Amino acid sequence: MTWLVGTIGIWLAAWALNARLAASGWARTTAGKLAVPILFGVTILVLWEGLVRGAGIAPVILPAPSAIAAKIAVSLPTLWLDFSQTFLKGALPGFVIGCGAAIATAIAIDRSPFLQRGLLPIGNFVAALPIVGLAPILVMWFGFDWQSKAAVVVVMVFFPVLVNMVAGLQASERMQADLMATWGASYWQSLVKLRLPAAMPFLFNGLKIASTLALIGAIVAEFFGSPIYGMGFRISTEVGRLGLDMVWAEIAVAALAGSAFYGLIALIERWVTFWHPSQRH
Amino acid sequence: MTRALPVLTVLAGIVAIWYAAAVWMNATWIFDQAERNGQTVTWAEVIPQTMDQARPLLPPPHQVAAELWKGVAGQAVTSKRSLVYHGYVTVKGTLMGFGLGIVMGVLLAMSIVRFRVMDMSVMPWAIISQTIPIVALAPMILTLSSQLGISGRDVPKAIIAAYLSFFPVLVSMVKGLRAPDQMQLDLLRTYGAGEGATFLKLRLPASMPYFFASLKVAIAASLIGTIVGELPTGAIEGLGARMLIGSQFGEPLIMWAALFAAAILAGMLILAVGVVERLARARMGVPA
Amino acid sequence: MKKLMTGAFMAAMATGAQAEDVTLQLKWVTQAQFAGYYVAQDKGFYEEEGLNVTILPGGPDIAPTQVIAGGGADVMVDWMPAALAAREKGLPLVNIAQPFASSGMMLTCLAETGITAPADFADKTLGVWFFGNEFPFLSWMGTLGLATDGSAGGVTVLKQGFNVDPLLQKQAACISTMTYNEYWQVIDAGISPDQLVTFKYEDQGVATLEDGLYVLEDRLADPAFEEAMVKFVRASMKGWKYAEANPDEAAMIVLENDQTGAQTENHQKRMMGEIAKLTAGSNGALDVAAAERTVATLLAGGSDPVITAAPTGAWTSVITDKALAN
Repeated sequence: MTWLVGTIGIWLAAWALNARLAASGWARTTAGKLAVPILFGVTILVLWEGLVRGAGIAPVILPAPSAIAAKIAVSLPTLWLDFSQTFLKGALPGFVIGCGAAIATAIAIDRSPFLQRGLLPIGNFVAALPIVGLAPILVMWFGFDWQSKAAVVVVMVFFPVLVNMVAGLQASERMQADLMATWGASYWQSLVKLRLPAAMPFLFNGLKIASTLALIGAIVAEFFGSPIYGMGFRISTEVGRLGLDMVWAEIAVAALAGSAFYGLIALIERWVTFWHPSQRH
Repeated sequence: MTRALPVLTVLAGIVAIWYAAAVWMNATWIFDQAERNGQTVTWAEVIPQTMDQARPLLPPPHQVAAELWKGVAGQAVTSKRSLVYHGYVTVKGTLMGFGLGIVMGVLLAMSIVRFRVMDMSVMPWAIISQTIPIVALAPMILTLSSQLGISGRDVPKAIIAAYLSFFPVLVSMVKGLRAPDQMQLDLLRTYGAGEGATFLKLRLPASMPYFFASLKVAIAASLIGTIVGELPTGAIEGLGARMLIGSQFGEPLIMWAALFAAAILAGMLILAVGVVERLARARMGVPA
Repeated sequence: MKKLMTGAFMAAMATGAQAEDVTLQLKWVTQAQFAGYYVAQDKGFYEEEGLNVTILPGGPDIAPTQVIAGGGADVMVDWMPAALAAREKGLPLVNIAQPFASSGMMLTCLAETGITAPADFADKTLGVWFFGNEFPFLSWMGTLGLATDGSAGGVTVLKQGFNVDPLLQKQAACISTMTYNEYWQVIDAGISPDQLVTFKYEDQGVATLEDGLYVLEDRLADPAFEEAMVKFVRASMKGWKYAEANPDEAAMIVLENDQTGAQTENHQKRMMGEIAKLTAGSNGALDVAAAERTVATLLAGGSDPVITAAPTGAWTSVITDKALAN
């Protein structure tokens, strides 16, 4: 009971502190912008720890954060092996191939309004489909190693990026296009100098969606056959062995990797599309 | 017609590529079989055989269409073998998750716009939450909800669906509720409008276009969540469960039919959301 | 929130303790592997004992051990290696009955790979199920002295999915199959038995006990629960013996209960026929010698044994003694 009362006490105190921090001028500094969400995250962990200990929840149901942290500390080599298999070999090449192919396709059909009108509705439709259902089929086709995982990721990321890229290429304004024409710019010149830059905000929208899909796709595909390492493999195997601390360790790694990947793309976006209104604060 | 022609052309192209791929992929097996039996076969013999295998690597379109037709029209809709029945199970989960996701997304967005501390502390975690692979959480959501005394698999499935669908709603609503500019806010202040009135009369109406735009994304996400929830966790009924059973018992046709049923379902749901959106916009006097 | 959680938790425990409602968690999806329970349900054997039994099918992501730990089931069907491993993890599972007398697990290899004996596994790729089913395999490789970490001279292990594709697509030289299920899918796919080489765990002397009934140890202290389990085991065994005697009818009962509607009569009837061979000779009582052999096999698991010490109290004959007495 003391655990519960204590936990709730800490939670309330931290929340009050956060509210004061957010209201104060300090919240506008970079440090403040980082401190508030971190404090919130820490509070959640404390709450979780307190609930698990206070309510006596069995570790085979939900392990405490401290137990998960301990597990992470002792299994770094395994986690790295899994991470490199799933993320570096599965998700990343799949992401690069899928996005690259989507961008190339968008540019290739750029000169054919007929193909665009044909592909766009279909692309929009496919982008909304539960592609994960293809995972067992692709594992059957491409084998159990990382190739099939990359294939799932390619299919998952292709359509959202394609749709955004096509929309982006049409985003430059009529007046700007006319201006390029008056300067006697060729198709390629106006593509490189005007329309590709103008497409960037749209492209990055697609890339951001694709970045979260990539990791999910690679992990789901591992459920349907894999070598004996990889994040999806470890998660499904350890659930069967009741090694829930290891499962959560993998989830933590996945969240970390996914957020870092997303953050990286957001950073590149800020750098590439510095001129766009959404980047001005 | 001018709009349909390009789409039909592309579709025809896809079907042609599909047939070619089916011949190419399914032929390997026939050659292997012939080799095991010490025979030789020619392509002229192989091609017809690639069109009607019982467990093809890639079933040609007409086989999938036939299986789909059998599942939809070949049975009473209440039968467990009917794809309509399983589609209904999946739609039920999807809509529950969709509703839950909308409520969560809107409530969170409201408090984020209202309270600065919520904005600063919750928003980054909402983004991080989407990078966690939901499939990893699915089994735990199941056990935890059974521990909380929730029986059945509808609720856990809906939670998984809501987990994926709340995010687009949240992001759009935050944008939408902040859409009114300072001048409009100032105007309402001069009218002496309180916080509640500002919210109801200005912020909420202003957010509606954003809200509806997010619904299409959210319903698709919700369907994906439901199928993921059915696929590996206690596959009992629903389209995801049929995909799994099809995979396990080496019945690719069942799997492909379920996949296409899911695709058709996705199309119908998005269409329905589109209709609701158009009706709402018309009522609100937004030019289409 | 917290109050609510404990409250609900208590409520869940309380309903679980009510004697006559019994929830059974299966190890896998509805199929003839669990025919006995479905027959007992369908034929009213549970009802005759005054039980109201709910059968929960499993799936690839459902660990029966986790469900029972979470209070989602009173009794579960699982394999002894998984149950013993969970027991070492601190989940006190006890075997109360063992309807399966022998093991149905085997490795099925393509003859064209040149494998004729277990010694030939070296440097080959073998497909294995994980999710708690990998323990017998790891023990076997341990006894053979083959490393499973991918080092030279050992075997390359792949986690096979839920079907036999790795063998058909030649991604693996051998895959795990059950005599009652996957083996026949290989045959159905058009590969004839003489193109296959099979190694039954039973023949290799590394068999471990499969489908048994397990409950949490502390619940057995409650006489009402014990009483319910006696009734449950008695009715279940009656169901199993009925299924053995009437395999076709049993298969149809299973098919009736398959909510996915994707199972076929052909598969289920054949599976029932094979399952009957495994349950034959078991009256439900655990053969302690077989259980000890399972433990010995698991302890022999080489460098990374499945369990580190022989368990104590992992099985009890209390339930079967009473259930079979009258």
